Amino acid sequence: MTCDQLQQDYTSYALGIADEPERAEIAEHLARQCPVCVPGVASAMSTVTAMSGAVKLVQPPRHLRRRVQAAVQPKPKAWSLGAILPWAITAMMSVALILIGISGRGPGDTAKLERALSILNDPATRDVTFGETGKPSKGRVFVSPSKGVVFIAASLPHIDSGKTFELWVIPAKGNPVPAGLFQSQSDSTAVFVRPGPVENAAAIAVTVEPDGGSAQPTTTPFIVTKL
Amino acid sequence: MFAPGITLPGVLLALEMSSKHDVDLARRLQRRDSTAMGELYDRFGRVAYSVILAIVRDGSLAEDLVQETFLRVWNRIHAFEAGRGALGPWLLAIARNRAIDHLRSLSARMDRNAFELDLREHPSLFIDMERDVLNADHARVIRSAIGKLSANQQKVIELAYYEGLSQTEMAERMGEPLGTVKTWVRSALKHLREELGQAVAA
Repeated sequence: MTCDQLQQDYTSYALGIADEPERAEIAEHLARQCPVCVPGVASAMSTVTAMSGAVKLVQPPRHLRRRVQAAVQPKPKAWSLGAILPWAITAMMSVALILIGISGRGPGDTAKLERALSILNDPATRDVTFGETGKPSKGRVFVSPSKGVVFIAASLPHIDSGKTFELWVIPAKGNPVPAGLFQSQSDSTAVFVRPGPVENAAAIAVTVEPDGGSAQPTTTPFIVTKL
Repeated sequence: MFAPGITLPGVLLALEMSSKHDVDLARRLQRRDSTAMGELYDRFGRVAYSVILAIVRDGSLAEDLVQETFLRVWNRIHAFEAGRGALGPWLLAIARNRAIDHLRSLSARMDRNAFELDLREHPSLFIDMERDVLNADHARVIRSAIGKLSANQQKVIELAYYEGLSQTEMAERMGEPLGTVKTWVRSALKHLREELGQAVAA
């Protein structure tokens, strides 16, 4: 059909009520960007829009705005470490701030917080996530060659009294170097800061050791993460 | 509703159509700025909800369809020409299509050509549209124009806008010959277009 023949059905088409064969014909003209029918239907569409503007206005429920906006907020994927880590890091850093900041009324705790932040802010700091491969403990470690290590973990295993977690810096060559002792919180998380230079670190590991720690690992590391 | 024999009821639509604001809003949506979604809702949420509710007549369902409408705008905003497209008219076309599509039976929806629905929502149809087509004056013109239609013409406009019935379906519903219904539809829409055209030109 010609554009002239279709013209009287542009508004029916814009309303979605056109019958065959006009409907299919107009759709075909639009699909090939017909220079007559595209502006023709566009003009008809403004009539339909004006009809929408004449509908009696009703106030929508107040929660609808939140619902619409929430629909486009990025959502973390369930059980995806990569997706939850930014949240987890933020949450755990908050824990760190609470642990170090609120309990930290002494000058030593403030210094500890400052050291942690200086490690996180060091441009040379490398950070690695761990726990992706089905290991229960997950988290992230930040290693600054000049400033030290910040270790953040969740879902740490339960250990008996008289035991402690020990962090190890594993160099490219040679034996693991002790990097400090720490305990988990009651919710099985831990944030541990080990200041000082970290030389030739190739990996970070954590073992369970007797209280007071060991000079060399006495158990198999349950966390080993390459840098 | 466009009830036969009476003028259109309704509160005057008082949307301030600031074209610059719409251009900025569209660009922010294209940059995936989720706060722009709240502003888009502030601007068109009420009218979109009103259109959808008038069609589906169920508040809970209308909420679902409003969300679907805004999500569709969010997902397709990259095809929208921010500098030239009319954001509100595009969104309202999507809103009405979502509602009408829901009204239709499952089989009718399956018969319906999704490609064609996309064509009727294509952003190219909203380029350079009169940006104030949604203003209160035009709403008044449309209501007045519908008030001047014959009862049968008003009925077909109501069935067309609120139910999306094809002219064949209208003929069956009204028990009238298809040719007669087509004449009513064409003459009624022509009248609305002309009245609106005069208002735009004025």
